[in-house]
Amino acid sequence: MDTLPTKRDHNFSSSLYRLLLFCYPAEFRRIYAREMATTFRDCYREAMQQHGKTGIARLWALMLYDLVTSLFVEHFRAFIARWKHLFAIEERQANTLMNTMSIIFAQRTDIGLQRSLNEDSALSFLPEDPQILSKKGALFVVADGLGGHSQGEVASQLAVSIVQSAYYQNERDELGLALRQAVEQANAHIYQENQSQSPQPSPDKRMGTTCVAAVLQDDTLYVANVGDSRAYIVRAGQVKQVSLDHSVIAEQIRAGLLKPEQVADHPQRKMITRCLGEEGNVEVDIFTEKVQVGDLLLLCTDGLTQYLDDEELRKIVQTYDPQESVQHLIERANERGGEDNITAVVVRVA
Amino acid sequence: MKKEQRSPEAFLPLTPAVLHIMLALVDGERHGYSIMQEVTLRTGGKVRMGPGTLYGSIKRMIADGLIEESAERPDPALDDERRRYYRLTNLGQRVMRAEVQRLEQIVHLARSKQIVTGSEMMGGA
Repeated sequence: MDTLPTKRDHNFSSSLYRLLLFCYPAEFRRIYAREMATTFRDCYREAMQQHGKTGIARLWALMLYDLVTSLFVEHFRAFIARWKHLFAIEERQANTLMNTMSIIFAQRTDIGLQRSLNEDSALSFLPEDPQILSKKGALFVVADGLGGHSQGEVASQLAVSIVQSAYYQNERDELGLALRQAVEQANAHIYQENQSQSPQPSPDKRMGTTCVAAVLQDDTLYVANVGDSRAYIVRAGQVKQVSLDHSVIAEQIRAGLLKPEQVADHPQRKMITRCLGEEGNVEVDIFTEKVQVGDLLLLCTDGLTQYLDDEELRKIVQTYDPQESVQHLIERANERGGEDNITAVVVRVA
Repeated sequence: MKKEQRSPEAFLPLTPAVLHIMLALVDGERHGYSIMQEVTLRTGGKVRMGPGTLYGSIKRMIADGLIEESAERPDPALDDERRRYYRLTNLGQRVMRAEVQRLEQIVHLARSKQIVTGSEMMGGA
């Protein structure tokens, strides 16, 4: 058989199949189109080698049959999923955020399996006013409270609400600085709350909280961090932790005193070196990153990261839409013990 | 928001595609095309699954925690294009066993009524 026409047929078949893949729902296509095209090519090669032109005819019969039946199933399921989204209040879509990009996000917090209180707090905020939105962007905050007598819950709620109000009231054009000041204000407020308690609580009963806050404005991401809650960016299969943990362990690793693999059962695993509410002044780290379409942002507390490594986090947020991702992340942490409260915010730049 | 872990029985019955994919993954992790080949081979060509059915099932199986992605790497036997590999989770194995047991009971019932090897009377029914 002439090899040239065969190759041409092959290219034609592959192109046609890739074209037909556009019939599937976008979400499905995004995850599997490439793999399906590769699989088609493999099938084509096998059919050609074993049965020649008859094999190709039979292959196309199977492919078309498969296409019709699975298209129906996928569209039906996508339709159901859309309806569910309409009623899911946590997830909102912002098409007006930026000229070229939109974002889809979801947040979820869970008490875990072993604690009696959920001391985590989370906030995803998209200003209604399009002018404020385009000037100040969207804000996402995760805080993990600590302190006795349910004080941790109060501290983390104070942190997210003060960061929100202080950030959007700040008139500065430099958003990174405005975010830093907002976190500093939250610290000052929680510190004051501690000081005004009477009688003065013992140091271990004073309330405090971690705080990781992210602003997404146009194509820039600003992250402010105090404590060991984390911000990650997932881009093109790579995961990057944007924030640096302020924890005993992370500092020992950075100083080369401890290896990352020694962390799992370390007694000081949960000990943090910086938090909001402890001192009148706190040093807030600020990180700035450029984002692009397809990027995923994950903010979470250590109740999640103590069980899931970077690679697992990446797989989940890349496989599912944000709404499903936060659910899967929390389920996974609970399956492994759910020792702490678990909170996750996932934002997809689309 | 706490969700209880579902028992394996809660997933039953499985669709034929899902069961075949699980059986193909019993011996170890495979990529999509390798799953299709295995299914065709093991069923003597009687069951042929197209990519749409395959990846639609894979998507839902991942969402249910029955299988997971393991790594992306080339298949040495094919070419150097990277492929995603899938493997059964513990839950997936339990669900598969439960399904096979369920099917066994049905086969057992069928045998006891002698419809498989038995009288012609039941033949075409």
